[in-house]
Amino acid sequence: MEKFEPVIIAFVCNWCTYTAADLAGTSRLPYPDNVRLIRIMCTGMVDPQYIIKAFLEGADAVLVSGCHPGDCHYINGNFKARRRIKLLKQILPKFGIEENRLRLTWIGASDGIEFAKVMTRLNDQIIEMGPSRIKPARVI
Amino acid sequence: MMIRIKRENNSLSEGLRSFFTKILGLNEIDALFLPLEVYGSDSAMPALLTDPEQLEHALPFSPAFPVNSARMVSRLSFRQSGRKTAVLLRPCEIRAFIELVKLKQGSRQELVIIGMDCPGALTWADYRAYVQNGALSSDEFIENVFSGTCTNIKGFEFSRACTCCEHPFAVNADINIMGFGVDLSEGMIADSCTDRGKKLLESLGMPEASEPLKREEIMETIKNEKSRAAEAMILDIDQRTGSIEKLAGFFDMCINCYNCRNMCPVCYCKECVFNTDVFIHKPFQYHQWAEKKGSIKMPTDTVFYHLTRMAHMSLACVGCGQCSNACPSGIPVYEVFRSVSSVSQAAFAYHPGMDEDAPPPLSVFNEKEFEEIVGIGDN
Repeated sequence: MEKFEPVIIAFVCNWCTYTAADLAGTSRLPYPDNVRLIRIMCTGMVDPQYIIKAFLEGADAVLVSGCHPGDCHYINGNFKARRRIKLLKQILPKFGIEENRLRLTWIGASDGIEFAKVMTRLNDQIIEMGPSRIKPARVI
Repeated sequence: MMIRIKRENNSLSEGLRSFFTKILGLNEIDALFLPLEVYGSDSAMPALLTDPEQLEHALPFSPAFPVNSARMVSRLSFRQSGRKTAVLLRPCEIRAFIELVKLKQGSRQELVIIGMDCPGALTWADYRAYVQNGALSSDEFIENVFSGTCTNIKGFEFSRACTCCEHPFAVNADINIMGFGVDLSEGMIADSCTDRGKKLLESLGMPEASEPLKREEIMETIKNEKSRAAEAMILDIDQRTGSIEKLAGFFDMCINCYNCRNMCPVCYCKECVFNTDVFIHKPFQYHQWAEKKGSIKMPTDTVFYHLTRMAHMSLACVGCGQCSNACPSGIPVYEVFRSVSSVSQAAFAYHPGMDEDAPPPLSVFNEKEFEEIVGIGDN
């Protein structure tokens, strides 16, 4: 059987996780290319609908990753993001999208090694979970 | 303070009419807002009323629930008008209005909110049939619904939102008109819940009444019964919508008219993202989707729209059922939203419209909370 290569959409904040990804790159640390980064200015601007859209388009997992508590460039965007993720973790499982397909992490700008580690681990976890059930669906 | 709204000429509705006439006659009240017969019809719509003569067309208690009036009261109060209005609202309308006040879409400042024991409502489609088949008189209706556990009216079932409503008793009102547990042969009872309400009732010079016996007990029974109905409804709807495929099937007849959003009292955005250019896709985009998936339903974005709305408003959903009412395809939209809001509201221990001081959950945060959802589990 062909190996399952998940699609993981990661919304990463400009100031921390994206910078960490950059650092991982310049440090030549590999991480799975199943993870597709979307740079945003702050996790606090990730509207739930971005995440919903990603799942409906067949993403196997969605990661939102920003600055550690207290480090947010906009003071508290990451705390607001946490509440929205909490909300979606209630709603999505109602419709068969497992809670663990939606993840939130804090990865600081200097955490290049951590970034590569988390992405690799997340990729492994999603491979273990198997593909999202929405994948073959025709819905939009 | 409790006063008795006595029957007049042996009629409850005439008693109510004279109660409202007295309120309108007070110096500090300039207008009333309550359901009124539509000109040229027996049907009822909420109306802003200043002429006491026209109170003869008022229908303060009826099974008509065409719109959630919170939207209208927001229109009347989002800026100062220089007028004081007494507004008669169903409990779910008050709760929705409280949510709008929190969102700065209205203000209680110039209002006296008169709540009521909710008699329940028919779906808007059933209401038309009910009126055409000879509606009950106001008095008959009131006596019927407040006599006990009445589940249908002239053979028409009350709407799903009403049979599953756990809050049919007004909260956050200034005055509450009570029917359950009240000896209706004497008339209904109005109770003051705030200082503003107390002052108003005192100035009416109407006879005082005492707390109706057994009311608490009856309220408890009704609440329990409706909770059970809600639980059963949620179990059933969860089975019917438990996957994205099932959800898409549930909304199979949705024509993207967005009436459910337009009639939702708490969907308050002036410009909804689904009406913006974001959703006017370029022609090539449709083709790309069709090429990727093999086919694409048009209009597009149906399930996306409903899921987004759940994320955007389920925390404020008061369960009034107007989304179902407004659906031209007859989709029971309310049921799935009620199910979703039950879990989302529980996650934040939030009860929309109940506590005026509780901020909407997504407008605030605590530094130390929900830490268990951060991270990928094992590092």
